[in-house]
Amino acid sequence: MTATASRPTATPPATTRPVGAGRRSRRARRGGAGRWLLGGLAVVVALVWVFPVYWMVSSAFLPTNQLKRPDPTFVPFGGSLANFRQVLSDPAFLDSLTMSLAVTGLTLAAAILFAFVAALAISRFRFRGRRAFIVTVLVVQMIPAEGLFISQYRMLDNWHLVNSVLGLSIVYVAAVLPFTIWMLRGFVTGIPIELEEAAMMDGLSRTAAFFRITFPLLAPGLVASGVYGFLQAWNEYTLALVVMTDPSERTLPLWLQGMVEANQATDWGVVMAGAAVITVPVIVFFLFVQRRMSSGLVAGAVKG
Amino acid sequence: MKRVRTTGLAALAVGMLTLAACGGGESAEADGGSGGSDTGELRLWLNGTDTPQELRDHLVETFEADNPGSTLVIEEQDWSGLVPRLQTALSSEDQTPDLVEIGNTQSPTFTYAGAFSDLTDMVDELGGDDLLQGFVEAGTVDDTVYAVPYYSGARAVFYDKRAFAAAGVEVPTTLAEFTEVATTLQQADPGGKPNWSGFWFPGQDWYNGVAWINAHGGEIAVSDGEEWTGALSSPESQEGLAEVADLFSTATSAPRDADSEEPWVPFNNGEVAMFSAPTWARWSIDLPECNKGVAADDESAAATALLAEQQACNEAATGVFALPGMEAGSPAPVFAGGSNLAIPAKSGNQELARDLLRIIFSDEYQGMLATNGLIPGNSQFADQLGDDVYAQAARDAAVDAKLTPAAEKWADVEGARILEDFFQQIASGADPAEAAAEADELLAETLN
Amino acid sequence: MSAPPLPSAAPAPPRAPTPPSSRPTDVLRPRRRPLRTRLWPYLLLVPALVPLGVGLGYPLARQFVLSFQEYGLAQQFGRPAEWVGLDNYVSLLSDSYVWGVIARSIAFCLVNAALTMAIGIALAVLMSKVGRAARITLQVGMLLAWGTPVLATMTVWQWLFDSQYGVVNWLLAGPLGMEGQRGHSWLIEPLSFYGVATVIVVWMSVPFVVFTVYAGLLQVPEECMEAAQLDGATSWQRLWRLALPMIRPVLFVVALLQVIWDLRVFTQIHVLQRAGAPTRETHLLGTYIYSLSKEFSMAGAMATIMLAITLALTATYIRRMLREEDA
Repeated sequence: MTATASRPTATPPATTRPVGAGRRSRRARRGGAGRWLLGGLAVVVALVWVFPVYWMVSSAFLPTNQLKRPDPTFVPFGGSLANFRQVLSDPAFLDSLTMSLAVTGLTLAAAILFAFVAALAISRFRFRGRRAFIVTVLVVQMIPAEGLFISQYRMLDNWHLVNSVLGLSIVYVAAVLPFTIWMLRGFVTGIPIELEEAAMMDGLSRTAAFFRITFPLLAPGLVASGVYGFLQAWNEYTLALVVMTDPSERTLPLWLQGMVEANQATDWGVVMAGAAVITVPVIVFFLFVQRRMSSGLVAGAVKG
Repeated sequence: MKRVRTTGLAALAVGMLTLAACGGGESAEADGGSGGSDTGELRLWLNGTDTPQELRDHLVETFEADNPGSTLVIEEQDWSGLVPRLQTALSSEDQTPDLVEIGNTQSPTFTYAGAFSDLTDMVDELGGDDLLQGFVEAGTVDDTVYAVPYYSGARAVFYDKRAFAAAGVEVPTTLAEFTEVATTLQQADPGGKPNWSGFWFPGQDWYNGVAWINAHGGEIAVSDGEEWTGALSSPESQEGLAEVADLFSTATSAPRDADSEEPWVPFNNGEVAMFSAPTWARWSIDLPECNKGVAADDESAAATALLAEQQACNEAATGVFALPGMEAGSPAPVFAGGSNLAIPAKSGNQELARDLLRIIFSDEYQGMLATNGLIPGNSQFADQLGDDVYAQAARDAAVDAKLTPAAEKWADVEGARILEDFFQQIASGADPAEAAAEADELLAETLN
Repeated sequence: MSAPPLPSAAPAPPRAPTPPSSRPTDVLRPRRRPLRTRLWPYLLLVPALVPLGVGLGYPLARQFVLSFQEYGLAQQFGRPAEWVGLDNYVSLLSDSYVWGVIARSIAFCLVNAALTMAIGIALAVLMSKVGRAARITLQVGMLLAWGTPVLATMTVWQWLFDSQYGVVNWLLAGPLGMEGQRGHSWLIEPLSFYGVATVIVVWMSVPFVVFTVYAGLLQVPEECMEAAQLDGATSWQRLWRLALPMIRPVLFVVALLQVIWDLRVFTQIHVLQRAGAPTRETHLLGTYIYSLSKEFSMAGAMATIMLAITLALTATYIRRMLREEDA
């Protein structure tokens, strides 16, 4: 019973691609007006869904005094790149970009590595405290984080990590780890240990078997976790606000919020341009990994 | 199994607490170089872009000249994220700035919390009774002064001269007249716009609304020394609020869910005859007929000249006056914006910080504040604001301007947006007495 | 009840049948394993435990401890904190306003999670049935909604629903001729406020659901679907009776996450409140805790209460999951 129960819903991620590919070509052969209609529906849904983002980009091309008018401007005819120029020529922008890249990069690297290793531990081994750890990882995601920054700051301050990339990365990694561990656990469990065993019987050492057989199958999962972690670290505001008070250590969300000045007048056109610019790396990252991510998200979820 | 699991968790907990304890111990032996030395790096936190660059440069130059071997670093903080930053940084020896600018509505809260050093002995030196008293109060607990005024901003009423002419009205001289003028303008609707407002009065704009309460002698909340009680139900406050309710129903089409942000936007769209804003709003007035279409990033001399022309045109079409009080010739006690300065108690550079404070209160710096349109902490220098109509309006408005109650928990009232909700209810037609009773309860709950 | 085992007919690395006796993850069989192997799992956990402990463990423990004290801003600056036991909890739980916030939050959470799941699944199914071009268009649309910084999207949504200059009112009043909608405030009535908040939260949450469920649908083997089709099942029946039940674990996980996240919703509500809503009547748990945040001990107590509520809502699923774990 134990032999099959642990794998009732598992499917090695590798199978999704061949199946999908086969299915797609089979689908393509089936045509019909129904599909055209559905296709049209999909496009309409996409356009409607994207409208707020379109509005943001459109506003970025307009001067601020045209943004709030009785008759809204739907298409930025006669718009200009002035706002974008202002954003890109702001010296603080480049500093913030560098800082965000540093923090996000460090967070991603650490989070994926640690989560992967922890996921290995809890899915490949039986040990005391394993269940407790799994439950803790899940429960921790339920606690609202809004008042937590006070205690997190106190912790970082005691270790002299305030206003440092390392300090901010630690709290980001902590924030991202629970979901990531949970997701990767599903992946690792979904890859039967027999694969490694078979390779080992063929003469490979355990480590080599792991890296040559199991690890590649985990790629989609690692990518999916990477995307999630990237988003969290790239767009986070509150912790960055209190941990990075030195103006030269600001991350992009702080830089963006700083343009919305509470006292003097806000230049909204520039803010929208700034937001559009911040989004570009996110979209690029997404498009690049999206294909692998699809197969990644589900295999982890299935086992979760 | 259960026992083992519990043991495991207990071990984990002990481990974490030990970690915390170790971490706590470390700070005790933190770098000792910051305590009581004669030279050092002084950090000043200024908020937003209110303090112009030339003033900042002056501070750095003067401070470093007076204190050879020391440096002054000015770190600009955003208003929008200020409170969490203060809550965390001020309590850390490592991270605290040595002199901090803090909004006047936040001053009482942090002062009561013990965040700042005692400045009572310096007050006379800095200006004594010439200092803006309301601001000094905001930084005082039990007769001990912890925060001193930095600058104040006054609210004035901007108006469209052509609309006035078209409706045949003049600048009002008393508060009662103001309501009349506003109503007349509302009905006149010179441009024929559907959402025309004689006076732009959004539902959540309590910064504006309290002026009426203050003018009639009412208060938001009063303390008997021990406890705070809400005073919105007092007869005086109710008189003022009745006028406010009038204005809401007969003199404005402003949305009930908007607040005091960006009142110049509808004005620029030609939908408003009068609006109330801090005097620096003059730079945001941008009437279509005056706009020269200069690109935002164009820094050429021609562009600058065009912009100057544009500003002159705007200011010619727009007038400004201080909101009048109950009697002709005296202004209403409007809401005073502005900031205080304080030295965090945990700063290791107390002496140097005091020195910086002296520089800020020097005649020269106070004069510079005034020439840049900011009402200086030392009111003696207010006449250096200038003679143009804006300076005049600012001076008039500042004379009697009132701050929010200097309560320890005032910041909570603002955080809970009690006054925004309250005025919004009145704007939606609620009975001022009923709404006030509710709001008073909330105020008492929050402030005590 | 888990889905039937998926056939491994597709080309996959061969899986040898597993005799029960060689289950490698069962350390109870071979009793004397070398110490090094026994320590491995703990060693592997250490890298994760360090940031978790530092970044979350200690702060959470401290917040929990604070909830039994009277700890406000003054204590932050050095004044000693008194122990008040359960006072904070009692004062919160005996306040009918707090129960109102809790009730509203649960309602909001369930409505949003349900809507998000329904729309997400529908769009995922749509995505699986259309041609490549349409599918990629839809995917990119979802991506953009998901990946744009929240500050920007929230600002745009505020503008869209602005009472004076918002596009929504302009559309209603102008082209659609509902003149009464001019200047209509969407945020001033709590119900309408929650409506707008729901639109925004669903808009932001659906992409994650769509991608996950779509990927799940990708795994439903074509053979099963074709067999059902040959047996005469309609498209709808194939979806409802075959595909969806097969991806039930996926659906469950995603739904669970939606419930957890929607209960914690903060940013959208907070921004909308500042945009003009009556604050007190529109508080949900996230913003309420934030409003308490100067009374750090009260915020801590409220957070603990909220954890309890979330656990209560999700307990059944967690227990099921743990049982599956051990099997």
